[in-house]
Amino acid sequence: MNDRIEPADAARALSEIGRRREQVIRRAVRAAFPGWYWWTTAVLMIALTASVESRRGVVLGIGITLFVAGELITSVPVSRAARAAPLRRDLDSQRRETLVGLATFMLVLVGVLLATALSLKAARVPYPATIGVTVTAVMFAAGGQTLMRYLTAILVRRSGRQP
Amino acid sequence: MITPRFDELIHAPTRLSLVAFLAATTWADFAVLRDSVGLSDSALSKQLTTLADAGYVEIRKAFVGKRPRTSARLTAGGRTAFDRHVLALQEIVAGAGGSVLPPAGHPTSRSTS
Repeated sequence: MNDRIEPADAARALSEIGRRREQVIRRAVRAAFPGWYWWTTAVLMIALTASVESRRGVVLGIGITLFVAGELITSVPVSRAARAAPLRRDLDSQRRETLVGLATFMLVLVGVLLATALSLKAARVPYPATIGVTVTAVMFAAGGQTLMRYLTAILVRRSGRQP
Repeated sequence: MITPRFDELIHAPTRLSLVAFLAATTWADFAVLRDSVGLSDSALSKQLTTLADAGYVEIRKAFVGKRPRTSARLTAGGRTAFDRHVLALQEIVAGAGGSVLPPAGHPTSRSTS
């Protein structure tokens, strides 16, 4: 026991330590999956699908180039930010759950995409794949951020149990 | 087994924030530390130097292209000192019967020491 500080001061210090740990966790997740990244990827997905569905070689070439370049360009600041203060491994204890969550989310999106696109095609609606991907892309961007918020909350809650 | 030990050097408010931040990371960039803890460049440099002199922090300077990049991390000794300090704090709070929880959102002093 240390008699130089008051228990209230010790409690405040512990609270500050917990706050900083939470700050690191939230920052790490935000850096790895920033909000704009989801929407940028969604727009690139729509552009790529529209170019494929146009069935014109030049437009397809532009679409593929735009998609690849866009993904490469956006990944640079994301990976740089993620490397700036990576989470300590024992705090990142739910890596498996995150991967399972993302894989499940992607499977749901593929299901929605196939169901939407095939239904539209059966109804002879023009550009069924582009419309299907647009619906899926909006779900991807909005749902992805919600999933990240949920996983962050779990990480923060679990980190609070550590000494 | 880690034994509790109150650490005056770590307990100073600014250094406590810094060490607590570093304890949750593997490495942290200077800019991230500065912005997260809310310090000026010179104040952060001073605190990191104090912690490095005590052997608690390792500072790495590298170049990314032409830009200098400074990062810091807790050393094994710094992590142990931090863990022991946390245990000492928990012991103090437990000794008071857990009746000293700070009010929610209590502002921790931001003065440098």
